[in-house]
Amino acid sequence: MSMSTKLLDELRNLVGSENLLHKPEDLLVYELDGTIDRALPEAVVFPANTEEVQGVVHACNTHEVPVTPRGAGTGLSGGAIPARQGVIVGTARMRRILNVDPLERTALVEPGAPNIQLSEIAAEHGLFYAPDPSSQKACTIGGNVAENAGGPHCLALGVTTNHVVGMEVVTASGELEWLGSYGPDSTGYDLRGLFIGSEGTLGIATKVAVRLLPIPETVVTLLAIFDDVEHASETVSAVIGAGLVPAALEMMDRVTLQAAEEGLRCGYPPNAGAVLLIELDGIEELVQEQVQEARAACNKHGATEIRTATEANERTQLWKGRKGAIGALGRIAPNYYLLDGVVPRSKLVETMGEVSRISQKYKFPVANVFHAGDGNLHPCLLFDERDEGSTAKVLEAGAEIMQVCVDAGGALTGEHGVGYEKNRFMPLLYSETDLENMRRVREIFGNSGTFNPCKVLPEGTGCGEMAHQKGALQAAGPEAYV
Amino acid sequence: MTGWPLAEDAPNTADLAKCVHCGLCVNSCPTYAITGLEVESPRGRIHLARAVAEERIPLTETVQEHWELCLQCRACEAVCPSGVPYGQIMEKARAQLQAAPPSKSWGRTFRRLVLRQVIGRTRVLATLLAPVRFFARSPLRKLLRASGLLRFMGPIGLLEAQLGRPGRPFRPNNKHEEGDVALFTGCVMGELFGDVHRSTVRVLERSGTHVFAPRNQTCCGALSAHDGDLEEARRLARLNISAFEASSAKTILVNAAGCGAAMKEYGDLLEGDSKFAERAQAIAAKVLDFSEYLVGRTLPVGRLPAKVTYQDACHLAHAQGISTEPRTLLGAIEDCELVETDGADLCCGAAGIYSLLQPAMSAELRQRKALEFAKHKPDLIVTANPGCQMQYEAAIREAGIEARVLHLAEFLDEAQATSTRSP
Repeated sequence: MSMSTKLLDELRNLVGSENLLHKPEDLLVYELDGTIDRALPEAVVFPANTEEVQGVVHACNTHEVPVTPRGAGTGLSGGAIPARQGVIVGTARMRRILNVDPLERTALVEPGAPNIQLSEIAAEHGLFYAPDPSSQKACTIGGNVAENAGGPHCLALGVTTNHVVGMEVVTASGELEWLGSYGPDSTGYDLRGLFIGSEGTLGIATKVAVRLLPIPETVVTLLAIFDDVEHASETVSAVIGAGLVPAALEMMDRVTLQAAEEGLRCGYPPNAGAVLLIELDGIEELVQEQVQEARAACNKHGATEIRTATEANERTQLWKGRKGAIGALGRIAPNYYLLDGVVPRSKLVETMGEVSRISQKYKFPVANVFHAGDGNLHPCLLFDERDEGSTAKVLEAGAEIMQVCVDAGGALTGEHGVGYEKNRFMPLLYSETDLENMRRVREIFGNSGTFNPCKVLPEGTGCGEMAHQKGALQAAGPEAYV
Repeated sequence: MTGWPLAEDAPNTADLAKCVHCGLCVNSCPTYAITGLEVESPRGRIHLARAVAEERIPLTETVQEHWELCLQCRACEAVCPSGVPYGQIMEKARAQLQAAPPSKSWGRTFRRLVLRQVIGRTRVLATLLAPVRFFARSPLRKLLRASGLLRFMGPIGLLEAQLGRPGRPFRPNNKHEEGDVALFTGCVMGELFGDVHRSTVRVLERSGTHVFAPRNQTCCGALSAHDGDLEEARRLARLNISAFEASSAKTILVNAAGCGAAMKEYGDLLEGDSKFAERAQAIAAKVLDFSEYLVGRTLPVGRLPAKVTYQDACHLAHAQGISTEPRTLLGAIEDCELVETDGADLCCGAAGIYSLLQPAMSAELRQRKALEFAKHKPDLIVTANPGCQMQYEAAIREAGIEARVLHLAEFLDEAQATSTRSP
């Protein structure tokens, strides 16, 4: 795994030696993101600006070395894992909010800026940035663009692609381009839309122009408590059926609630079978009306208790558990395999039953936490990777769950991306023609297979199963490092 | 060599496994905020510990550097949804460095000597700090400052900038005293921050609590524990446990955040000691921070017309989860304008002896505070830990503003005294 010293020298000249990591110990943490895949890079570089990004991409292309872009490494599909080693391009030094325009309600930010920081700065002007992934305290805008990230508040407002108006990008071939615009952009093909959600396979966004929204006048969050997931799911259908479009509609099951409560002490009922978080916002009168309707739906479908939070700090408290729920699972098991399937809302109850059957079959406990409003499930299979063969087994169980979602008329992923983790399953959803067209899109942006390789599309050979098999990594372990 | 050199104090495997590498901690970490490097983040440091534990990598100099740049502020622990006990992992990781440092240095040997033979010995410390107190109030100091020589004196110059105007020492009383509520006096705290203790006593008296300082108590051991000298930390913990057991105290009040956090965790520190494990837990359960105790009590009216900013002490906010109590106490003071600065809960870079060991990183963090101070121009900067107070003394000089640095107890004392003088 030795990388040419010539390339290392070129990279060092481009970004400075303090912004190039290549010692084995320094590379270790960059072998992972928020999920279970692993692969070690040979170097990590941190360019400071667009020109440096371009220089790095050119240098790597010349040496035919794979490039993998990385934000904060909180992704949940292995998108930032250097599947074929090579160079990771980190955006950590490009994290400025360049400008906020309160009149146009737009902002221009660098890709490494944390999502939360954008919302905090926008709040000074009474504005906010809508997509709010649960990892928003850490995850970056660049990463959000790559994954077309969602979040609890995307039910009414849409995901990243609905809020990014344009981007400066360095394409896989190293060209500098601007995609989209600040104004209405209706002519020609939507290259901006193509780039968002391309999971770092088409290039690296170096500046992102986003749309900001005014902070709503009134926000009310309801926490409805149920004895079981079935009643909660029926309520979800009833709320949407009543014509309400809540800002957020989230569900957590018993296992998740207990972990979140233990870890974050957010005041959730310890014995509930399921809870719904329903957030309504807008003009005061309208919101009050909607709150009544939502409460009625909850009561009709067996809510045992409904709590209401109107003050910001009360709402933050209710959301705290939801936003930290996935991480809190670490209290129950050392590893989780988090899935991201989407099913039609009408199939929620049925699909949950299937998930529970699969969890019992493979003897992995499951914790469910999900964006119920848009049918985006997040079953988390709990396991311990130190148990022989457990990683392979959990991946098998995950495959079954994905199949169940697709069979129900749904999709593999709602917001976490396909990445490295789910690329094998793309044929479940797409025809060979579809996949071939996607490959050609990649080529148009100059990706001949070395720009974030092994992501999104299934690969015949070359990516191996290395990242899935920790054994292989460990076999290469100490000797490879010393 | 692979694996842990000091097996009995190795980071707990189950604790390491709790980290699901979700990455939610990274932005809370001051060293990540400055460097942008994941190797300088909690997730990176835990991953290195895991790699050493799993014998994927040996304990190298690079690993040592990453661990030693950690401030142990535990901001990551406060935001970790999985409950990874990062503070304990890092103390045990440092214990490995103490046992077999990949890069040996005189500095390490020297600081261990100072921590063991000076900080950990009340009489030696008292003897050595007496001239420091004298110097702090002498014309010599003014002269030295005016000369500009301090800039060329490295750590001495830094220490001078951090040194406030220490009052008389406050030491445990030698005669036997009775009472329900005991005060922990500490090491440097008692010698250089005697005024804080006297304010603490007065504020407590005014709220109807009589406190006494049981004899034979000593340094809490936090500085040694953070440096990985767990043996010395345990020795000091045992001395304190015995001292407080011998007293009648039902509650032990601590006004230094770092000491309070360490003492609340005596149970973990001594869990392997069959003679002391239970006793340590019993004593730890009696420990309360000064603000935590005071917030539930009836206080006399306080008034202090000033612009005040509260800066969280890491080991109060992150390690003990106490951030609203001090603000509640401050908020109750009449005529005082409370301003929140950006990054009030971000480490100031003092971090025990860190400012001497990692001067560059420490200075970056201090300058962040200085910038905020320059922006808001507070009259008073209030905090709850001696190290932070010292760091802010240096920061206000950098900010070029006229402000005083006070401990929360001093602030309340002054406000209550002002109020009684002018009704």
